[in-house]
Amino acid sequence: MELERIDTKRAYERIRERIITLELAPGAALNEQALAAELDMGLVPVREALKLLAHDSLVVITPRHGLYVADVNVPDLERLSEMRLALEGLSARLAAERATDDDLVVLKALRQEQAATPPDDSRRLFEVDHKFHQAVARAAHNKYLAEGLERLFGLSQRLWYLALPKLGFLPGAVEKHLDLVQAIESDDGDRAEAIMRQHVQEFYDQVREVLAEDK
Amino acid sequence: MDENFLPSLVLGIDTGGTYTDGVLLEYETRRVLASHKSLTTKRDFSIGIENVIEGIHIEDPAAIRMVSVSTTLATNAIAEGKGKRVALFLIGYDPDLIDRFKMAARFATPSYFFFDGGHDLYGREKKPLDLPAILAKVNELRGWVEAIAVSSYFSPLNPEHENRAYQAIARVSDLPVVLGHQLSTRLGSIERATTAALNASLLAVLQDFIIAVRRAMERRHIDAPLMVVRGDGTLMSDEFAARTPVETIHSGPAASAIGGRFLSRLDEALIVDVGGTTTDIALIQDGQVSVSEEGATVGDYKTSVKAANLLSIALGGDSHLTLGHESKIHVGPERVTPLAYLAYQYPNVAKQLKALSLRTWAQATPDWLEYWFLLREPAESDPLRGQRDRELVELLRDGPRPVPAILRHFGLLHVAQIGVGELLRQEVIGKAGLTSTDLMHIEGRYEVWDAEASRLAWKVFAQFQFKDPDELRQQVWQQMTEMIVHAIVTFLCQRPLELGDRDRCLEGTDPDMARWFFYNSLYHTHPHLETALRLRQPMIGIGAPAGILLPAAAEALGTDLILPEHHGVANAVGAIAGSVMVEEELLVYPQLSREGLEVLGYFVQSHDGRTPFEDLGDALAHARSLSAERALGAALRSGADNPQVTVEELTDGLDTYRVRAKAIGNPRLTR
Repeated sequence: MELERIDTKRAYERIRERIITLELAPGAALNEQALAAELDMGLVPVREALKLLAHDSLVVITPRHGLYVADVNVPDLERLSEMRLALEGLSARLAAERATDDDLVVLKALRQEQAATPPDDSRRLFEVDHKFHQAVARAAHNKYLAEGLERLFGLSQRLWYLALPKLGFLPGAVEKHLDLVQAIESDDGDRAEAIMRQHVQEFYDQVREVLAEDK
Repeated sequence: MDENFLPSLVLGIDTGGTYTDGVLLEYETRRVLASHKSLTTKRDFSIGIENVIEGIHIEDPAAIRMVSVSTTLATNAIAEGKGKRVALFLIGYDPDLIDRFKMAARFATPSYFFFDGGHDLYGREKKPLDLPAILAKVNELRGWVEAIAVSSYFSPLNPEHENRAYQAIARVSDLPVVLGHQLSTRLGSIERATTAALNASLLAVLQDFIIAVRRAMERRHIDAPLMVVRGDGTLMSDEFAARTPVETIHSGPAASAIGGRFLSRLDEALIVDVGGTTTDIALIQDGQVSVSEEGATVGDYKTSVKAANLLSIALGGDSHLTLGHESKIHVGPERVTPLAYLAYQYPNVAKQLKALSLRTWAQATPDWLEYWFLLREPAESDPLRGQRDRELVELLRDGPRPVPAILRHFGLLHVAQIGVGELLRQEVIGKAGLTSTDLMHIEGRYEVWDAEASRLAWKVFAQFQFKDPDELRQQVWQQMTEMIVHAIVTFLCQRPLELGDRDRCLEGTDPDMARWFFYNSLYHTHPHLETALRLRQPMIGIGAPAGILLPAAAEALGTDLILPEHHGVANAVGAIAGSVMVEEELLVYPQLSREGLEVLGYFVQSHDGRTPFEDLGDALAHARSLSAERALGAALRSGADNPQVTVEELTDGLDTYRVRAKAIGNPRLTR
């Protein structure tokens, strides 16, 4: 994003936020002019931002029917979970092997913040959880892995917001993170991977359950 | 027509204290094709800029190759405390020392925190970095601040702790983080901290501004690179500016100086820019704006930002002329709308002034010459505090009112009781009164509005003092000349000179020699001693009132006044006439043995790492080529055309060297 114009960057962030939190519903048609007016910006940055979002698979551009927010469905969830299970597991394993002292300080600080967040503040807990996953990926010291995970996380976020009204935050996650930090700190790659896989698996299981009920 | 000879059109915009000026220029020929003035909207600068872009005559917007703005936005935001809330993290600073020398007031934010860490004069770690404490503080501050600035002790020599702090903070927080070493390679730790804090507080302000300018450009179908003027008059791309807003401090006056040089083609001159609110003085030497090597000061804060060496005084064409104690006439510092303009807009004001001039002496006091009027309808977002604000707005909706009438309406005795400050600041209400612009109308030297209103008002003003209106006018002009000459003299000799009572001084009851010399050089009253001031360089006048206010000053200084064509919009010309410049500084300093007794070699320190060398010569050679390469790359990325690189080596003493590469080129006008 470093090369983007700042107005493009701002439009990208604002529109992305709306898509992820479902304020812009999956499948909804998008109108460039309306978005530009709402964001109080020119058409050019909005158009550029939508292209970037299409690249993120959050927006679909069709030659005939214009622009709309990418749909989200159960088969998507399955494919996403396959990918994330494998990559998050790898990320945790590499973090256990490569984390520096500074990486551990960051992971511990995030864990503490998570513990201090009120249990009913689901959004905040979810944000901290996101940061925690990002921090583990950074501690793995592989930028391609971190970039890939970030993209997958962006797609998963919408599933979580879909399930949010019935789900709340996963109560077990706080302890999971503590275990995970300990495993990374003691260079135990096997354990770190196992904990992370389980944590991600539980997330998708619960989301799947909630979405299945809706059907 | 040969399409290689299509002229390059560029659009320059300057947001001054009173007016926002725009000028459309043919770049190669320096021909001004169109210009436009609109009032600066301090509550939101982008409104004034949009008005200029809307108002300027542009035949083919698609032909514009570059837009460049100079703005007092940063300076204003700092002065009015409109920046964002910033937490300043100080790593390795000594809290006792800061406390003892009361340096905390200079940090530009009340929220500053000390942490262990930092380096010494040789780039060696003084204490390990306390990262857990930093992250705990970030957590604690959540929701309280909008940006974080980090400055570590001796970070220009070794930025490791700043970089590590950044990496960690960015992973737990979404707030923007500014690092001291990225803004300055100077070693002064307080100025660096201040600069980082100011930069952090201005990030969002300048980003909003750039986005608004881009939006305005798009509405006029202008698709061109946007540049922003720095405080030393050079240009940077908007992306650069969005990251280093603190560098735009003083960009307005710097642009004026550049514009004056561009239009006059003189390489040595004194530039005097007379605006509506202020007069700014700068110097052109060797074709460049003279830059203060010490950092720029803004408000109470001393920064490490390079900026034009300039002096600004509160004297402009719209300075309010008022009567003070002992019949002393004050010029400024406040800027008001000229009565000529108010009466032109509201014919009723002209009638009222006529009636006032017919009143008896005791009934026609000068306070009746100050009017308040409604500038705009308050929006929902403007907090009208209380019933009185609403009533005042209601009252002024029927037209401007003289202040005594407003006081009478509210049954009050003094203006201060009304508490109109916020409405003035939000530009809901405006003030009008006598100004030098009115005097120009009376004399017919500048007559675009209602000169009769000015004449009547001035008559009341003079009669109240039992003075002849014409003589009093001469006296005011003289007073303004004195103010300008005084400013030029103190600016050039870099010494203060307090002005006293002129008559006492010339009669001899005031023993101060410097003052006598100053006054005698202006008024030549001494029977035997002739003294004179002579400015060696010509004076270039800029701004609409320059042609009227400056000839006497130039004469008093024994120099020529040059008023280039279009000098009224030279500031906006200056916004596009500057070069694109990028500086890259590297530090070279000794690597000491553990005990600090032996020099083992030399480090070359850049912001992202350091390289050890055994030999000083090799280290300096590496620093020269690396800095040149980086400056060149950054200048190309910032939109410089064929940038030329020069490298200079400065020493700070202590075996420490600063290698500075400067890449400079004209802005690239192709898209």
